[in-house]
Amino acid sequence: MSELLANLALGFSVAASPYNIGFCLLGALVGTLVGVLPGIGTVATVAMLLPITFGLPPVGALIMLAGIYYGAQYGGSTTSVLVNIPGEATSVVTCLDGHQMARQGRAGAALSIAAIGSFFAGCVSTVLVAALGVPLTSIALLFGPAEYFSLMVLGLIFAVVLAKGSVLKAIAMILTGLLLSMVGSDLETGAGRMTFDIAELSDGIGFTNVAMGVFGFAEIIRNLEMSQESRDIVKGKIKGLMPTRQDLIDASGAIARGTILGSLLGILPGGGAVVASFAAYTFEKRISKHPERFGRGAIEGVAAPESANNAAAQTSFIPLLTLGIPPNAVMALMVGAMTIHGIVPGPQVMAKQPELFWGMIASMWLGNLMLVIINLPLVGVWVSLLRVPYRLLYPSIIVFCCIGIYSINNSPTDVVIAAVFGLFGYWLNKHDFEPAPLVLAFVLGPLMEENLRRAMLIARGDATVFLTRPISAGLIAVAVGLLIIAALPMMRRRRQEVFVE
Amino acid sequence: MSKGVRPPPNGGGFRFRVRGPRDFYGGLALIALAIVAIWTSGDLPGTHGFAFGPGTAPRLFAGLLAICGALVALSGLFLDGPRLESYAIRGPAWVIAAILAFAIMIRGINLGPLHIPPLGLVPSTFAAFIISVFGSTEMRLVESLIAAVVMTAFCVALFVYLLQLPFQLWPWI
Repeated sequence: MSELLANLALGFSVAASPYNIGFCLLGALVGTLVGVLPGIGTVATVAMLLPITFGLPPVGALIMLAGIYYGAQYGGSTTSVLVNIPGEATSVVTCLDGHQMARQGRAGAALSIAAIGSFFAGCVSTVLVAALGVPLTSIALLFGPAEYFSLMVLGLIFAVVLAKGSVLKAIAMILTGLLLSMVGSDLETGAGRMTFDIAELSDGIGFTNVAMGVFGFAEIIRNLEMSQESRDIVKGKIKGLMPTRQDLIDASGAIARGTILGSLLGILPGGGAVVASFAAYTFEKRISKHPERFGRGAIEGVAAPESANNAAAQTSFIPLLTLGIPPNAVMALMVGAMTIHGIVPGPQVMAKQPELFWGMIASMWLGNLMLVIINLPLVGVWVSLLRVPYRLLYPSIIVFCCIGIYSINNSPTDVVIAAVFGLFGYWLNKHDFEPAPLVLAFVLGPLMEENLRRAMLIARGDATVFLTRPISAGLIAVAVGLLIIAALPMMRRRRQEVFVE
Repeated sequence: MSKGVRPPPNGGGFRFRVRGPRDFYGGLALIALAIVAIWTSGDLPGTHGFAFGPGTAPRLFAGLLAICGALVALSGLFLDGPRLESYAIRGPAWVIAAILAFAIMIRGINLGPLHIPPLGLVPSTFAAFIISVFGSTEMRLVESLIAAVVMTAFCVALFVYLLQLPFQLWPWI
């Protein structure tokens, strides 16, 4: 316990240096600014802003990225409440009651409850990350290649179960992502794979290009198809920013339950934040004495999912920092950023660079605090940003993305690749394929292949090794169980219900 | 648009239609992707003794993808599903044109008879903005020109002066 406090003190001494506070503040501001823009989710925001952290020292860069991440997420919920367009999947459920509250003139209360809930969840999960970091790192030492592979299979199966629509199509997306991740030089022999002899492909397809194409460009192309006038921005001034005492009492239980649920689900690899917000909303509705209020502006319907997704967003750092496995697309971008700064994520980070590890954890808490302090007074600014017509917004986003992608490697080919993935994402959408599992598989692909090859080599070509090692067998069993449950007709109907709501 | 939904013209006799064209054609496309992957990784050495070769994993996953694609296509053949959506041309075409214009202009290109010198950040950004504007039916020229100038200035200020990233600004420097 005292060790935990000492570690946290170290973290805060790093995070609270004026420079790092500045980076954190800047990250949170810019993250919110971009996250508020409709049609750009968290992943695209972080990907777009990645280049601006290149020039910073490693600790500062990661602290700023974490700030961008929280900012983007908060920005997403602001658009949900005010325009009824979820910035990304985690704030889909926030639209339901949040926008209704806004229409009843309580947008201020909805936004401040979202911020307060997020802050509370952030506080709890920061402590949780700090407390679980050390023991989980020691578990990581028990993991061999077979266990790593099975864990990643489990993560991908989670992504399948959580994707909406057909399980089969989600699996197809996983396989597509894995296949795409193998383009480029082979890890061991250096042989060019599926490169069509194009020199630029020999380094593989960059993850940011895929993410920007599928989440950024494809989204813009799709939005252009819809009539722009249908956006329904809450008109008039937002007043009464502070929630009433009654609001706080109503929301407090929901915030606590959302935080617990979110923290637990966030640790699971495979997009925990999305399911956390859905689960928290459904749970709140189920235990409510007046479930009919949900969807008509119930404050619990905003408080629970917002707390849950923030808690999950934060605990999703746990697998990254302890095992080195990115559990979702944003964390994958973090891996990219860390690699650029010469840090290999994994259990050794905590031992070798304690100031980085604990500084980042402390900055999570600071980032959340900043969001509450800066964003509530700035709600008016964010709203005016939403009034910028889309016909001017989307060219700006395109230009910004192009410069961002280009500046990562100074490579025009990367920009072209992103354009190709933009069209691919558009096609996927037309055929009801979900891009999220594809992107996660793309991220995990190289790690999975490496561990699969190593495990097979160690086991002398015996594929049963994944079932004979106890931890690995347990993970595989859970994955298979999940898949069976998801494919059962009864559960299939339930999943549809959740996503239709 | 959706060929599969219309009954065959000769009517009578054997009537057959694709019930879920979205899944059917989506599945077929994935099979095609898998075949391309298997074909292009075909010359890579495969498993050698206990060790995976570079070609093992791509062929393994491509094979699985082909199976999965076939199952998706089959489910589209026999289960009712939504019709194919029409594809817009205007939006995607201008957006992609803008991105490609940026990629070509920023570094220049030497492609056969086509020879464009590197034009720098300012013209590339401005051109990409103006081209992408045409993707929307609601575009207004004067407003867009002003916005393009503002956005270009903003990007230069942010990336070049604030972030100090190495960019060539104009064709001549």
